Amino acid sequence: MAAVLTAVHAIAAAPVLSAAPAMAEDAVADKPSALSVTVYRAPERGSGSIDLDDLGGFALISETRTVHLPAGSSRLRFEGVADGIEPASAIVTGLPGGVIEKNRDGKLLSPSALIAAALDKPVTLLRTDQKTGKLTRTAGRIRSDADGGVVFETSAGVEALRCSGLPETFSFEGLADLRATPTLSVLVRSAEPLTRTVTLSYLARDFDWAADYIATVSADGKTMDLGAWVTLANGNAVGFPSARAFVVAGRVNRESGEVEPLDAGGPILAQCWPQGSTSDPQYLQRIGLDERELEMSGRMFKKSVSGAGPAMFQVVALAAQRPVEQEQLGDLKLYRVPDRTTVASRQSKQVRLLDRTGIPVRLVYSADVAADEIAASAPASRLLRTKNDVLHHLGLPLPSGRIAVFASRGAEQLLLQESGMRDLAVDEDVEISLGGSPDVEVAAQKGETTISNARAGEILFELRLRLPAGATIVHADHPLDTKNGRPLFRLTIPANESVTVRYQWRPRTG
Amino acid sequence: MGLRILLISWALGLSAGAPASAADRSLSVTIYTDLALVQDRRDIDVKGGRQRIEFPDVSAQIRPETVSLTAGDIRIVEQNFDFDLLTPGKLMEKAVGQVVTIVRVNPATGVETREQAEVLATNGGVVLKIGQRIEVLRDDGLPVRVIFDKVPDNLRAHPTLSVTVIGGHAGTRTATLSYLTPGLGWKADYVALYNEGDSKIDVQGWVTLSNSSGVTYDNAQTLLVAGSPAQVDGAARQPNYYHPPQPRPTLQQAGTESGNRERLGDYYLYPLAERTTIANLQTKQVSFLDVHGVPAEHGYEFRNHWLGSAETPQSAKSIYAFSTSSHAGLGDQLPAGILRFYMRDKRGDPQFIGESRIDHTPMGSTLSLATGDAFDVKVRAVIDKRTRLSGSAWQSDMRYELSNALPTPVTVKLLQDGLWGDARVTAESQKSTRRDANTAEWSVAVPANGKASVTATFESRY
Repeated sequence: MAAVLTAVHAIAAAPVLSAAPAMAEDAVADKPSALSVTVYRAPERGSGSIDLDDLGGFALISETRTVHLPAGSSRLRFEGVADGIEPASAIVTGLPGGVIEKNRDGKLLSPSALIAAALDKPVTLLRTDQKTGKLTRTAGRIRSDADGGVVFETSAGVEALRCSGLPETFSFEGLADLRATPTLSVLVRSAEPLTRTVTLSYLARDFDWAADYIATVSADGKTMDLGAWVTLANGNAVGFPSARAFVVAGRVNRESGEVEPLDAGGPILAQCWPQGSTSDPQYLQRIGLDERELEMSGRMFKKSVSGAGPAMFQVVALAAQRPVEQEQLGDLKLYRVPDRTTVASRQSKQVRLLDRTGIPVRLVYSADVAADEIAASAPASRLLRTKNDVLHHLGLPLPSGRIAVFASRGAEQLLLQESGMRDLAVDEDVEISLGGSPDVEVAAQKGETTISNARAGEILFELRLRLPAGATIVHADHPLDTKNGRPLFRLTIPANESVTVRYQWRPRTG
Repeated sequence: MGLRILLISWALGLSAGAPASAADRSLSVTIYTDLALVQDRRDIDVKGGRQRIEFPDVSAQIRPETVSLTAGDIRIVEQNFDFDLLTPGKLMEKAVGQVVTIVRVNPATGVETREQAEVLATNGGVVLKIGQRIEVLRDDGLPVRVIFDKVPDNLRAHPTLSVTVIGGHAGTRTATLSYLTPGLGWKADYVALYNEGDSKIDVQGWVTLSNSSGVTYDNAQTLLVAGSPAQVDGAARQPNYYHPPQPRPTLQQAGTESGNRERLGDYYLYPLAERTTIANLQTKQVSFLDVHGVPAEHGYEFRNHWLGSAETPQSAKSIYAFSTSSHAGLGDQLPAGILRFYMRDKRGDPQFIGESRIDHTPMGSTLSLATGDAFDVKVRAVIDKRTRLSGSAWQSDMRYELSNALPTPVTVKLLQDGLWGDARVTAESQKSTRRDANTAEWSVAVPANGKASVTATFESRY
């Protein structure tokens, strides 16, 4: 018996009242009384922005609900869960005696699902006389809905739905257990009727979040202000009112490939026999056929489907808000939105991540040059350097994201450059790319590099060399340093002057 | 209501073969990882003589060549799997050469006119012969109903299995139909809650059944088999190419303990305690494991590829290791599936911290699973120097810089792979162990909010 698979203790604890699970009574859990949504970013996305049309991240959703269970077996339904739910990840805690089984039904309520469920069952055919408006009800049954064409039978004989050109439709006897949104149900047993508060947690797709930084460099170029937003988005058709919201920074492993398929259903397509007429040109018929095939292939969705269809995204920015609170979660960073907030369906929402001012920065020009190649004059790249520590008015984890750098011009702000930033832990060096500078040009010959400065002030310049494999520098006319195993010259180029660096290397020995 | 009952019984009388009775039906399904064996036992009425029996509610993905029917003294003549589906188009196509009833409705008066028509062709449009006239159906766009006498014999709403038998004596007997079908499979899903305070995990195991085979299995006795029987690919019946076994980086040490789970050959069996209904497109989960307080070890691992060098520090992997042994472990063998890790946040709410896939794992094994990248523990590998010693011999001076932004000291397992057995470590700042011929391993302690560094010199040939 030890080998029998189940929550054995659950059955032992409660007397077995009803043997067949099919006889279980239905109970519907109340609407969630408390919600929490933790959003994780798309694991593959670098520092780019989120794509509202295809959110690659996910969320952990926890719902607290009150349930009322009758005595005996019951099938407890949780309605209104996110449509991107990964059913295998669902956890229900707080039920007496545990859960016997958990189910997610993949058929949603739709016209085509109603037809499929009514197959070979009695239905009523409704026909309205277009002249008199008189409605005729005829008993019949559906014989087939294969490939979207509906064949039905009445006492008159066999007919095809909507091939006659007359208005006709069916009226069904019941919902056949179909629901509008994916429904999770669990089979539970209880010795007596009771009311409990349970927690349902699950992972759901079609969420994402990103950090967006805005850096403003001061007029003298010596300090910058850094602000950041957390932008989180919910692409599900289900909203989460008054929820505790979190985002998690860092990369987590994801293994789940395809979610178990869901039949989102569709319209009754009522395919007919060929309906060409004598006046149809040949090519038009072909087009008609292709369209029909297209429609048919669209009937079965294999990904997580937002049943509501392509609704517009709503973008909400919450200005003048307290920034998020950060805490450690294992090896990840958890950010807590301080107040309860509503994560509405198809909404992207922004909350403040941080605001730091007066961060000391250094502007450095740099170039990467192959020692044995000739390179025509090219702009040097500009970098803004600082360090993520308290001394530099930072010293907090910086999640990866886009960074837009602005400079002040009087009262105006001008965009200098937009670039990506990786996950930065405390004490790491921060390097923000500012793009190329046409004022500082770099030209290389074999064995020498010339840097020209057209700016009105002196600049710091870093020249890195790429040597052939195994080669070493034997002579240079400027002080030589190394960085990451490669030769580096740290130079100061005076205003409106050129500097030429010369070097000799020895090829690999042997 | 009376009409409806009459209608149904009349309609059943018209259908061609006798459908096998659904009452007294007893289903049992044995589910492998992505394949199922269905045994369908039900009472059939044998008339004696030649007879066709239909099984309309078998899996839509049935592999018909695996079907077998046993029912006492009857003999099977042939088995057919009809997948010609009943659609309006097919209905009209099969009516070519036959007579249908057309009902014209006068749009002005609403008066119906009935006529008999012979269907001549359905190519592009429907051509009818009404009396001596030839007409195209609904060529003028006016409403015309077409009524067929019956549904052709071999058109059905779903693919249907039919078996033609020659019976012995007439009467009811129990028949067992068995077949293999894809579309019905299972995997395991694990929920692991890691408690940072005492380094212990609670693990729950769930069996996740999923059914996309097209039908519902009502009230079925269900047996799950952990293991994947070899299947021959239907398309290419040629000898299989050799596929080397996939590496299993998560399994650190294979176990040698036996549990008390039922086995069949080398497969573990997981029977469900009760009969259950597996609906089409349903995902069903049943618990099979619930263990609390298993010791677990949290660590970090970083693997550098041969001559890997990075401009910026890279995150180490966050690793959780635990045993499946009966002593200080989960005490069970684990069917393949996904293990999801959770951890409580400061307010005590469980939060997801990553997941990892495991293969079928014997009892007594040690698993080491990565949940993701560590935000605060990073490693930067740098090639300081590459020197050619002679001919094809090279010396590589490597430096590994480790940093830890956590307020606690950590130990990072630093791996350098690509050694291929011929690269030697000639100098190193701390002693390495050779995990295998390909990999050198250092266990590096990094202080809280601090840095550490390892240097090593390799001699290799190429």
